[in-house]
Amino acid sequence: MKIMDLKKVNDFIWEIEKDPLVGMRVPGRIFLSKTLLNFLELGAIQQVTNVAKLPGIQKYSFAMPDVHTGYGFPIGGVAAFDIMEGIISPGGVGFDINCGTRLLATGLKLEEVYPRITELINKLYTSIPSGLGSKGSLKVSEKELDQVFINGAKWALRNGYGNESDLKHCESNGHLESGDPSKISTLAKKRGMPQLGSLGSGNHFVEVQYVAEIYNKDVAHTFGLWENQVCIMIHSGSRGAGHQICTDYLRAFQSAASKYNIQIPDKQLACVPADSTEANDYFSAMSSAANYAWTNRQMMSFWVREVFEREFNAKANVVYDVAHNIAKLEKHKIDGETKEVYVHRKGATRSFDKDPSYGIGQPVLIPGSMGTSSYVLCGTKDAMEMAFGSTCHGAGRVLSRKAAKHKLGSKEVMEELRQKNVFIKTGNISDIPEEAPEAYKPIDEVISVVNKLNLSEVVLKLKPIGVIKG
Amino acid sequence: MGADTLGKKNVRRYEFLEHTADVLFRAYGNNLSELFENSAEALESVMIDLTNVAPKDIKHVDLSSDTYENLLFDWLAAVLILFEVESFAIRRFNVNVKATSLTADCSGEKINSKKHKLKIEVKAVTYHELEIVKNGMYHVNVTLDV
Repeated sequence: MKIMDLKKVNDFIWEIEKDPLVGMRVPGRIFLSKTLLNFLELGAIQQVTNVAKLPGIQKYSFAMPDVHTGYGFPIGGVAAFDIMEGIISPGGVGFDINCGTRLLATGLKLEEVYPRITELINKLYTSIPSGLGSKGSLKVSEKELDQVFINGAKWALRNGYGNESDLKHCESNGHLESGDPSKISTLAKKRGMPQLGSLGSGNHFVEVQYVAEIYNKDVAHTFGLWENQVCIMIHSGSRGAGHQICTDYLRAFQSAASKYNIQIPDKQLACVPADSTEANDYFSAMSSAANYAWTNRQMMSFWVREVFEREFNAKANVVYDVAHNIAKLEKHKIDGETKEVYVHRKGATRSFDKDPSYGIGQPVLIPGSMGTSSYVLCGTKDAMEMAFGSTCHGAGRVLSRKAAKHKLGSKEVMEELRQKNVFIKTGNISDIPEEAPEAYKPIDEVISVVNKLNLSEVVLKLKPIGVIKG
Repeated sequence: MGADTLGKKNVRRYEFLEHTADVLFRAYGNNLSELFENSAEALESVMIDLTNVAPKDIKHVDLSSDTYENLLFDWLAAVLILFEVESFAIRRFNVNVKATSLTADCSGEKINSKKHKLKIEVKAVTYHELEIVKNGMYHVNVTLDV
């Protein structure tokens, strides 16, 4: 498959035609503008094609505009599988289960915070454990950890880390009922126990931002957001617990392909029939990791709030919290009928047209790369019809970490950010180039594509003033 | 192609290849034991600067599996766990692969943040295109999620 073999459906939809000879069950669809098409890798096209070969896949194997080559599924991949004829694949969720984004909004204006940004970032850095091998400051017992796996963000509330309104403004209310710690290995618990309440490293961050530009005043108002308002974005996931749960099930499912006679084009796509015991076990374990991640972001929100209360006597409300690596049991309209499916989103965000807490489309939170703009969008009916209620999740890498390090220097990147009035704090300065804006696709172009396709409607732009890079 | 890591007799042991989002390396070996040793060192070198790691203590690993690929996956996962859960960095691997089982002596020391330089947090070893190839020598491509 070459890029020129992609069939143009319209200016923003490119199709990989269904080829039953290579085992494709459905066509692939990639949402891209002409500019973004230049960044498309052959590896990503192959991965979209591979997903299209999995049993019970519905409609299309999708890739969002921030697509890039991953392992197994592409990053930016979305696929829905029939709950009877289809499969569940741990590789379709990834290792960082419920890696996601949360936005908190303060009542403060930019000019109240910006003069003290260095001090503020230093205080946040001290309060939130971050970086390589970061461990949480709270020690939980295995029994308590099981409660985290079962109850998600509800556990955090019960333990004083938030309020009811926080949960109301989380995807799935920060809790999946299907969490069951008996489906998790001792090792996953061992990895998860010391890390609860920690940011991690890599592309994870806590960013202080302000509302720089509003495109839809009414929706922004409904979400409680206004121009120049100071917000905080947290990007983190399920840490070692999620990584180990995925590892365990991926390993266990290696023999399932022959047991269930499922042809898989890549071992990372190992999967089991959606109606099997193994699938239920994985779904329970994955849900537990998702619950861990929501708890994690809730705890970090608490520490962010403590700092804002102490330093500015200001409160911070949860605007929303989205997962962008997850499998969900959802109902979607397929061929005129409402069907229950397992939607896998790997590097893709839910974009539902109805959110009970706001009465309109759900807030969709899209972080930019370090030091660039982030966006708040709103879920749409078109996303429900076009892509199982899904949209992009970020800018999407364009330079490998190695190439970024080779090309860009830490000091230069930090200086460049400083010139843009962004203060950055990290425990590992040599990693800075890996997350530099140049290592990513232009976020504005990604947002423009999802907005034009109406996979989500752009509401406002946030600009960073300070970052803690994990 | 990345910087080669040459072993004794200037034989290439592993090298890092381009991957947009994650880390991809290719390890080599004259036999499976060597291939497993070199793969593990490649993984270790992603997580920590090995120059300061002393082979002071030994951790023993025994594994048994059904295929070579599954055995390699289990082995690398075990090395990752020693690093993350036991904070044990490994300087030298002595692996013996027999059929689809292995025994290994891993010489290293407890990670000390003052002495050692941590590099990248590896989330997991993936199965992406994991295939051991014998073409005279053995080689394997391993993708790490970072």
